Amino acid sequence: MAVSFPSVEYFEALKAKMEAEQEKFRRLGFIDTTFAISVGQNGAARNFMLEFEVYELKSVREVPSIDLKKVDFQLVGDAKTWREMIENIRRNGAADTGHDINTLAHLGEHLKIAYDSPDGHDKLYRFMESIQEFFDLSSKIDVNFN
Amino acid sequence: MAFYADKDYTQDQEVLDAVNQVMSGNLGLRWYNANTEKIKGKPRDLRRGLTYEDLDIGSYGYSSIPEWVRTSQSMVARGSEKVGKLPDMGYVVNRKSDIWSDNVTRLYEEAKSRRWTPAVDIPWAELDKKPLPEPLERACAQLYTFLQECQLVSLDFPSRWVALINQDFIEQKSFMCAQMLDASRLLEVFRKRALYGGAGLGRASVLAEQGLKEWLWADTYPQGSLSINLTLAGLLLAIYRHVAAFAPSMVDRAIMRLAMQDAARQASYGHGCLLYHLNHQPGKQDSLHEYLDENEHTILGILGCPELLEPLIVISGRGLEKDQVRQGRMAVSGFIRVAVREYFERLETAGLRERSKRSRIAAFIDRIEIAG
Amino acid sequence: MAYLSTHNFFEDKQFVDKWLYTMRTGELDLSWMKAKTEKVKPHEANPRRGLTYRDLDIGTYGYTDVPEKVRDNRSYAPRGAEIPEGVPDSQPWVSRKSELWAFNTESYYEEAVSRQWNATTDIPWDRLEGVELPEATGKSLSQLMTFLTEVEMIATDTPAMWLPRLNPDFIEVKSFIAAQAMDEARHTEVFRKRALTTGYGLMQASPVNEMALKHLRDADSFSEMSVALHLVAEGNVLTMFRFSEYLSPTDIDKKIFRLVMQDEARHVGYGMQHFRYVLDNFPEKREVLHAHLDEAENISFAGSLATELTESFIILAGGGMKKDNIEQGIRVTTQFNLKQMQEHFERLEKCGMPERKERSKLYQMYEMGRAAAQQAGINV
Repeated sequence: MAVSFPSVEYFEALKAKMEAEQEKFRRLGFIDTTFAISVGQNGAARNFMLEFEVYELKSVREVPSIDLKKVDFQLVGDAKTWREMIENIRRNGAADTGHDINTLAHLGEHLKIAYDSPDGHDKLYRFMESIQEFFDLSSKIDVNFN
Repeated sequence: MAFYADKDYTQDQEVLDAVNQVMSGNLGLRWYNANTEKIKGKPRDLRRGLTYEDLDIGSYGYSSIPEWVRTSQSMVARGSEKVGKLPDMGYVVNRKSDIWSDNVTRLYEEAKSRRWTPAVDIPWAELDKKPLPEPLERACAQLYTFLQECQLVSLDFPSRWVALINQDFIEQKSFMCAQMLDASRLLEVFRKRALYGGAGLGRASVLAEQGLKEWLWADTYPQGSLSINLTLAGLLLAIYRHVAAFAPSMVDRAIMRLAMQDAARQASYGHGCLLYHLNHQPGKQDSLHEYLDENEHTILGILGCPELLEPLIVISGRGLEKDQVRQGRMAVSGFIRVAVREYFERLETAGLRERSKRSRIAAFIDRIEIAG
Repeated sequence: MAYLSTHNFFEDKQFVDKWLYTMRTGELDLSWMKAKTEKVKPHEANPRRGLTYRDLDIGTYGYTDVPEKVRDNRSYAPRGAEIPEGVPDSQPWVSRKSELWAFNTESYYEEAVSRQWNATTDIPWDRLEGVELPEATGKSLSQLMTFLTEVEMIATDTPAMWLPRLNPDFIEVKSFIAAQAMDEARHTEVFRKRALTTGYGLMQASPVNEMALKHLRDADSFSEMSVALHLVAEGNVLTMFRFSEYLSPTDIDKKIFRLVMQDEARHVGYGMQHFRYVLDNFPEKREVLHAHLDEAENISFAGSLATELTESFIILAGGGMKKDNIEQGIRVTTQFNLKQMQEHFERLEKCGMPERKERSKLYQMYEMGRAAAQQAGINV
């Protein structure tokens, strides 16, 4: 059954896939970070907080706005960018160089990274492989776009 | 330098008597009721295993290490009972706020957990399936030659200091061992990549090495950590992110995605170490500012050395054609600004306030422009 | 003590102008593209093993061709790179291959990287819940763990001290030492964790063994350090790990000792290979190493005064503190002590120093001990 992006259900679906591939995520190592995803459209944004702990996504919830002091970092992008990323993942099985989180966010041209503390920002890179593999799980679910 | 024992024990009757006593069944058992705290530690989170954090208990815990460690200069395990005459190992770093970071135990656990193996975790054969055009491969070879220089220095820094740090800071020293392994692994993967593409190694960088040595040979650990763990690690993190974003091959992307994890951990420690240092020794603000006044110029030397700058331009633009070089310059200009901005952010939030206003770097960066 | 770069990049107008010019115009220098270095194409000899340092042992890049005396690189340039004028001197103390080389170093390193285990997650600590060892066993185990956590880190500190003093051309040796440092931090960690999960905490420090640690730390040369650390000390500790695995009161302890002995065997392997290499290639060092062994063995024998360790072994080996237990414990521990010394001399002999026995006072002690044990009916 398809899940809609963006939605809590989308992230819950990735969470389920992550649990099914625990061995892979275990091999990558601990991931301890809470970050936010913001998807902008028509002047408004939908915001999701994802809390990762040890080897799993512990919780995900939608919130009206993001307090940067409560997250390590926030990835902000418009719906078009996020959609392109997910469609790229679904086409290729994993994001290609032009569409992975690091590339999209690197110079702030497609995704912007907001953070309160550089230490929080650095967590994106400390756990990059796990975070990317998490989003790459989109290749294993059906997604439609609001 | 050599140490000699206080006597020839093979001729010492005391030793022979002790051996005979015990071997006759007369156990002294002086250790049996050791005057130490009795605890039974256990994991708080079974998924995480038994961490150093779980054992931060009483006299054994790192939280109870005093600011100045005056009572131990040997390798006696923290919390064990000291008896007899113990040698002096010559530690010169005995002050917690000279080396500590509140996140050091977490980072140590993370380093162990997030280990990887260059030999098998990089899809080397992909370079055989899709070799790069020659200019791009040569640029990669040069970049990876430069990065090996950086890792040789990154490897030397914790090695220089670990044996000089009081053994009571066991968690800190363990993290430094993890740093050594991280650096050797990065040295390995960069060397393997530089050679695997077939272009051979490039040229060592006089400018970069001069700057790197200045950082490595800092007088004190806090200064050296500021330079190597915060500044250099931050610059390298920015480089790895940039190259990953413009990766010419799957191999390069894989390498840089893994490398950035290690570099970010190092930068995180560097930030935490500076923060802890300034929180506990606020008077050091001025001297660290002066230290940076003297050697911040090396940031320019590293970012501007042709052995880094030009390969980055070629890689970012994907070649040597005029348009490609222009694209490359624009991308590298963006990278330089990100790297410098983040450097100042780390210093500011670690408590070295208003460095960006005092530093001469910003003025140089502002002069970078792209024409044509 | 601080080093100052030969350039102050803020003041170097030529450097700054060139940088800005390059960025503004795109006129790249590209002289680095003409680096006079060898072009090689390594291959994975065994794809299951991946791309190893051994695969890179080609031409000027390889470790095989590193000369006995490294004369042309004292900087931070990686081996085989073009080295221009003006690179700084990294001040290496050791630029002589036979001072540090060992056959198979690169493989020891690759093995270390591939076989890293995690003291936090690879030991089933939760299975200790509810495990209550008898007091004598628990305290003896804690004392053993206290000793081991105390001594392990010397094998981080000491080689790490030498690491920055080694010429950067010896990449594989430097990398091996980095891996060893991490191995020993892990050992320190696992033994500390085990002591703190027994219910007894840490026990008593070992002043006699602290003296040994100081001796290891303060060697005059890398070879002397290595023979005392890798060969003598770690050789003894390897035997001790095997003995401890045999004595382990729980399967958790058995697992701990099996894992640590893998790492230790690697370090001893390097030590043996290096010892052989230095004797073969730097024969003038033989007498120097004999002299260092004289002191290393003196201190090793002094370890007999570490009754906190011997007594713990006796109690663990005998299974308790009653008279019969102690007698059995003494028999087994005596066998271990003698085996430890026997293996020490076997290693030295295998590595090319068979004459050590004739010179060694420790060997005389060993023979006396062996004779006494045989007389007491202990099978040695």
